[in-house]
Amino acid sequence: MNVAFDLAEKILAGQRRALAKAITLIESTKHADRLIAEEILTRIIPHTGNSIRLGISGVPGVGKSTLIEALGKYLLQYNKRLAVLTIDPSSPVTGGSILGDKTRMESLAREENAFIRPSPTNGNLGGVGRRTRETMLACEAAGFDFIIVETVGVGQSEVAAASMVDVFMMLQLPNAGDELQGIKKGILELADILVITKADGQQKQMAEHARLEQQRALHLTRHENNWKPPVLTASALEDKGIAQIFESVDECHRIKQSSGQLQLKRQAQARAWFEQELVEGAKDWLVHHLGSSHQLADAESDVIGGRIPASAAVRHIFDQLLSGAESTTKKIRR
Amino acid sequence: MKQSFKSGRLGYDLWVKDASADIKGSPLEQLTRQTPEGLSLKPLYTAADLQGIPFLDTMPGQPPFTRGPRATMYTFRPWTIRQYAGFSTAEESNKFYRNALAAGQKGLSVAFDLATHRGYDSDNLRVVGDVGKAGVAIDTVDDMKILFDQIPLDQMSVSMTMNGAVLPILAGYIVAAEEQGVSQDKLTGTIQNDILKEYLVRNTYIYPPKPSMRIVGDIIEYTSQFMPNYNSISISGYHIQEAGADAALELAYTLADGIEYVKAAIARGQDVDSFAPRLSFFFAVGMNFYMEIAKLRAARTLWWELMQQFAPKNPKSSMLRTHCQTSGWTLTEQDPYNNMVRTTIEAMAAVLGGTQSLHTNSFDEAVSLPTKTSSRIARNTQLIIQEETDITHTVDPFGGSYFMEKLTFDLINRAKEILQEIDAAGGMVEAIQSGLPKLRIEESAAQKQAGIDSGANIIVGVNKYRVQEASEIDVLDIDNTAVREAQIKRIKAVKATRDSKATEQALNALKDAAASDSANLLAYAIECMRKRATVGEISDAIAEIYGRHTATTQAVSNVYINNYKDSGVIDDVKQQIAEFTIEEGRRPRILVVKLGQDGHDRGAKVIATGFADLGFDVDIGPLFQTPEEAAKQAIENDVHVIGVSTQVAGHKTLVPQLIKVLQIHDAHEIAVVVGGIIPTRDYAELKKAGVVSVFGPGTPIPECAAQVLQAIKSKQKSEIAK
Ligand code: B12
Ligand SMILES: Nc1nc2c(ncn2[C@@H]2O[C@H](COP(=O)(O)OP(=O)(O)O)[C@@H](O)[C@H]2O)c(=O)[nH]1
Ligand SMILES: [Mg+2]
Repeated sequence: MNVAFDLAEKILAGQRRALAKAITLIESTKHADRLIAEEILTRIIPHTGNSIRLGISGVPGVGKSTLIEALGKYLLQYNKRLAVLTIDPSSPVTGGSILGDKTRMESLAREENAFIRPSPTNGNLGGVGRRTRETMLACEAAGFDFIIVETVGVGQSEVAAASMVDVFMMLQLPNAGDELQGIKKGILELADILVITKADGQQKQMAEHARLEQQRALHLTRHENNWKPPVLTASALEDKGIAQIFESVDECHRIKQSSGQLQLKRQAQARAWFEQELVEGAKDWLVHHLGSSHQLADAESDVIGGRIPASAAVRHIFDQLLSGAESTTKKIRR
Repeated sequence: MKQSFKSGRLGYDLWVKDASADIKGSPLEQLTRQTPEGLSLKPLYTAADLQGIPFLDTMPGQPPFTRGPRATMYTFRPWTIRQYAGFSTAEESNKFYRNALAAGQKGLSVAFDLATHRGYDSDNLRVVGDVGKAGVAIDTVDDMKILFDQIPLDQMSVSMTMNGAVLPILAGYIVAAEEQGVSQDKLTGTIQNDILKEYLVRNTYIYPPKPSMRIVGDIIEYTSQFMPNYNSISISGYHIQEAGADAALELAYTLADGIEYVKAAIARGQDVDSFAPRLSFFFAVGMNFYMEIAKLRAARTLWWELMQQFAPKNPKSSMLRTHCQTSGWTLTEQDPYNNMVRTTIEAMAAVLGGTQSLHTNSFDEAVSLPTKTSSRIARNTQLIIQEETDITHTVDPFGGSYFMEKLTFDLINRAKEILQEIDAAGGMVEAIQSGLPKLRIEESAAQKQAGIDSGANIIVGVNKYRVQEASEIDVLDIDNTAVREAQIKRIKAVKATRDSKATEQALNALKDAAASDSANLLAYAIECMRKRATVGEISDAIAEIYGRHTATTQAVSNVYINNYKDSGVIDDVKQQIAEFTIEEGRRPRILVVKLGQDGHDRGAKVIATGFADLGFDVDIGPLFQTPEEAAKQAIENDVHVIGVSTQVAGHKTLVPQLIKVLQIHDAHEIAVVVGGIIPTRDYAELKKAGVVSVFGPGTPIPECAAQVLQAIKSKQKSEIAK
């Protein structure tokens, strides 16, 4: 039987094992796997789009995974089926990684209605963004109606994450102090909800303080007009503030949906997805077709050596490619 | 005598010349060794090294107790031979204790099984593989009474290693004595009751740190009021060293834990002199002979110094008394009779360092619980030192040694630096929550592992002087299914005959007490035990109020690879992994799991960190997983292989279960490998169950990684063939 067909059927039937294997194919760097993955995605895409997609981001250690554990357990009470996709940064030196997020979601991981998949970045944040989107679709096809994407906040990845979810939530430490200033611009504008974490013990007061501060700051940034991003505090450790977070997510989603914004947003995201694939695909194609010749390497070293401007080097490559292509077409015509 | 010899500076300069000649002109510094503690061991020490050492020429039995807590030490009465033991049922353990006492042992030391440690009754489904395996199973006071049958508790000092389920177990002991006719004030012995090191390394906690500290405080308070001869706590460095810490970390963390307990008791309004004299300590003694002697001397000195901040009036409040155990980690599966020699050397260090009691390990402990024969030899090691040598005939024989005094001083100073780090973190409870001390210990463990794997640190019979033919030794095997069934029967019987209303009332009162701040929980637990509540029921009642603690798993990276001294081996494995990655479209991915209540995570952690360094993607499962939970995680993460790390002999029950669950979920292509403490005779059985490879103690990590890669490939091949 055709592997893609078989897996797609099983995913649609909600089989955990098939979903897991499909994600491996989606993330695979092997060309043959990519083809299968695309076939699977093509089959299941009519059955996607029916979940609430929530992105959660923040610096390492801010408490993303722990909060997802608490939020997840809360969600499951409402008979939701939850998929969590976490993106773990690989060790850049050796390439291997320790995927630790899931150990913070110990009791959620046991739940029948939860599916948690940590993925290594392999040093390529943009690349994972690309595959995470597809993984999300596979999870939707498998019947998960709530999807959380956890990404480490290092600037670039937040943008990638925000560009594939319906609701984007940023987490901040209660004592972020100066760091706050750094995050404010740009990234904060992406956030639909802001949560100050670890509002417990000695940090409780500080968290409340940070909340007020942030609220003031958010006032000054512009957002989609009918949603004012709330600033909340929470303690995953003491299970406090979880219901409020869930309500905010739900409300934000509902408002966007009823106003038609959600549809527009998803369309815009799909367009961006297409454009990104086009660029990435073209690059892949170039490397694939020219990688073994000296053309790319030579042009690159010319640019590095300051002999040719980059734009001219690239144009030159395309010119050569096109004239080559023309001559082959001509040959065939004759 | 005529001045026909030279001393002091003159002599030293001459020595430098002679020594340089000996090593043929290469720099003398090469004879100075760097220790893992970050100290330098010079080839020679002189009187000049004694400068500035404040505790020189102090007396044993006097502050700061550097030379020992008692004036006469072993010259009057030797240390107590106290062997830690316990297995399967209360009946079996009781028989074992009575034999040991007849053979010259002086005190008892009870090892509980892991179900009991973690507050589960033997009939709980989470502990199917654990009951009776690594200690004695205790569910009710009836078990406790059998355990101490015909052992007069008013005369016998009993040490109990219990931390998590400390309330029901201590209560059970008190009630068992009571029903033997011995009132609690007559009881002598020690309860470990050291919860902080459980979060650090030993992993048999039940509740979160804060309420657990309250329980510790309750026990200190209760015993100081009603059990004057009982040690309320045994503040333990032993486990910290066994988990991988060097001597300085062990020393500093142990004392930092101690200070935390003292502060907690004082915060409850107790006077320091009312409890501090009953605090006791417990250290490991490994193969670094001098360092270990220095550690015990340093521990006493530093504890005295640290305690002064509480202004005790009784000198005994700042006098450190300690139990010691020879290191189990230094014992090897390979060429196991060598272990007798190792244990002897370690026992000597403990004695020369001035321990108050001692456990010597059996030579087969790298493989399983000791047999009757190996236990006898272990005990005799101490008897021989006590009875056949003159080692006991003088107090602190190393006192005044230029080298030992300086080493003691250096170690104290190094420990103080680590103590400062803990202070800066806001004390040990806070530091533990941040995870820093645990990471330090794991870093040290990864360094040691790399040292051994790369041959830089030599272990005879493991990475040098290996013997070809493996020596088959007798291995104790416990049929845990039989133990479990017997225990379940007894639980049923107890539940059927007790006054259930009264039990429930006692449990409810305990719950209320846990919810209030003022009550002493031990008093309520004793009442529950009298009313025949089980260990599990008592633990659960409290968990209803406090919840169960879940640990956060962290791991170090790049420590292993940076400490591995032979890059050829490493590069080769990395190359294999790189090729696999290209062929497969992703890195090899392994889920390292711990099944059941086995809390030994040192092996799992070094494997995880080492494998990641070499290029694997590594998922780490949480502690205490069931086979079902591990399978679910492996399936979702779609790992190539599950690596089970197992140390307390649950493998024969839990691993076949895991493989079965994988098959049920259509995940037969996930390979399963097993590593850890596995007697060779179990290999065949595991392989028959479907395990692809088995890795015993001492397997270098690069070799493990290469073989696991092979295991993945061979599994893939056999799946395709199907
Ligand atoms: C260290 C140690 C401890 C430490 C654990 C610290 C920690 N956080 O891990 C402390 C002191 C806390 C401890 C406590 C106990 N221990 Co203990 N402990 C040991 C000891 C001495 C060494 C184990 C070790 O870590 N070795 C170093 C590591 C790196 O080696 P390793 O685990 O073998 O791993 C290597 C290989 O096996 C392989 N490997 C291992 N796992 C994997 C996985 C994969 C995927 C691969 C590829 C390879 C692989 O690679 C590693 C590198 O070479 C052993 C005896 C011994 N000498 O082995 C007893 C031992 C395991 N302990 C034992 C017992 C009984 C206990 C207790 C239960 C006692 C009690 N009743 O209270 C307690 C409770 C602990 C608990 N919560 O489970 C028994 C188990 C008996 C049995 N099997 O029948 C042993 C065998 C000692 C004995 N004979 O009594 N212990
Ligand atoms: N005090 C407190 N600590 C928390 C809380 N949530 C997470 N932590 C701790 O913060 C650390 C990092 O948490 P984690 O969820 O892994 O953060 P992530 O890297 O953002 O995913 C862990 O040690 C957690 O125990 C909280 O609500 N309160
Ligand atoms: Mg995380």
